[in-house]
Amino acid sequence: MEFFTEQFRKRHFLIEVDPRVKIVASVFTLLLVISYEGFLFPLIIIAGCTLLCLKMKVPFKVFIIRYSEPAFIAIVLILLKLFLSGSEVLFTLDMNIFTLTGYQDGLLNGLMLASRIMAAVSVIIVLGFSTPFTAIMAGLSWFKVPKTLIEITMFAYRYIFVLLEDAMVIYNAQKNRLGYSSITRGINSFSTLTGSLILKAFEHSQKTTIAMVQRGYDGNIPFIKHKPFKHLEIAISVLFMITLGALWRI
Amino acid sequence: MNSRFKIQNSKLIILILVMIYFSLFTLSDAYAMHLAEGILPFTWSLIWWALAIPFIGYGIWRLKVLSKDDLSFKPLVGLLAAVVFIISCMPVPVPTAGTCSHPAGTGITAIILGPAISALVASVALFIQALFLAHGGLSTLGANIVSMGVMGSLAGFIIFKILRSLRLNLMISGFFAGLLADWATYLMTSVELALGIRGDAPFLPLLTQIIVAFAPTQIPLGILEGFMTSGVVMLLYKKRPDLLMKMMVIKPSEVKG
Repeated sequence: MEFFTEQFRKRHFLIEVDPRVKIVASVFTLLLVISYEGFLFPLIIIAGCTLLCLKMKVPFKVFIIRYSEPAFIAIVLILLKLFLSGSEVLFTLDMNIFTLTGYQDGLLNGLMLASRIMAAVSVIIVLGFSTPFTAIMAGLSWFKVPKTLIEITMFAYRYIFVLLEDAMVIYNAQKNRLGYSSITRGINSFSTLTGSLILKAFEHSQKTTIAMVQRGYDGNIPFIKHKPFKHLEIAISVLFMITLGALWRI
Repeated sequence: MNSRFKIQNSKLIILILVMIYFSLFTLSDAYAMHLAEGILPFTWSLIWWALAIPFIGYGIWRLKVLSKDDLSFKPLVGLLAAVVFIISCMPVPVPTAGTCSHPAGTGITAIILGPAISALVASVALFIQALFLAHGGLSTLGANIVSMGVMGSLAGFIIFKILRSLRLNLMISGFFAGLLADWATYLMTSVELALGIRGDAPFLPLLTQIIVAFAPTQIPLGILEGFMTSGVVMLLYKKRPDLLMKMMVIKPSEVKG
């Protein structure tokens, strides 16, 4: 949780780009990645996104943490495909009590799947590090994503940090009183923690509503008005997508 | 002599599953509830998104209807999405796997908010996790919404209502709602994963392998989630029964004093 992307975003050239342009470019790239059958295109995307992360000065530790979970899943999938699917035998290991067979086509499928996962994750990591949450939400509202969905997402995002502080206070108090010293106590403590957070959610929602009604809230939150598109940004993003499309076809 | 002990390749599946189990569940947290970004091919991503959208739409419609009478409903749903996000980021020890996993939280939101809005809450929590923690993903968001938001919420809500109509108490009904919400999510995620990665391989054997591989973590985790849901419902009942009445979880006649 201490590695929430929002806390590590710095000022860089991509911050200034219109969020709508970044959303379109990211979704387009993501679609190309998941519909590609091969290695080359995902590897290009991984390399490009890694360079962008370096340019955006994403801390190395955060970068590794973001990639560790998908990388782990990718490795397991390679093993799964290598040993469980395929017909062309790549190697056979005689382990005395059993024979381990790896398949060439299974390995290729596994590597393809793994490269697709890593490339898709890279795209989302770049989007997350290059765009503030409120800007993404404002961008989504322009794409006619239902306002209600955006409103509750904004409420959720705003209160994650508030509730997280409350959760940490309760958790530390429980831990100091050996609340997690056994499984039974752990379950009881975790239930109390979750229940307390739900009670706090009810309380905060009442207080927030009263405060918002006093400021004219009628059930709808007004959104940021969008600035007009910059021609240069549009031109660059179109060029970027055409280039990606051409690479995808190779 | 050696050949007598040799096992056929098909039987090696057991060994590989054991290997995968140890590599998956003893080295790091198990993120079994979310399909990772990019794991599903384009067609399956699209299919799961197409299945998820009507449920999200219905959830939004229900929320709008309820918000007309009570303006605090939208902030409440947003805040409960924040709670689901937080608890699904918290590691819970899974004794049989000797590691940590995390609860989904859909059982409790299904009980409090109903399945439609609970699916919406899960969608929001999953979206924020995908975008800012790289847990799950945008291309797999539809699939994750269907498994955690829709199947989890429906299973939790339906079992809670059935058990309550059979006059079972809140504690037991809450336990089974949490348990089945978790297991329904786990089974649906396994189906989605098997369909997504199978290629030319037959579906059912792969599904069985995935279910078996996840079982050592997900079965005890479901039981833990059952206890957690039961504990939360009882805490709310003791501290703020008025809230449970407001959300139509209990009837006024069930409140003591």
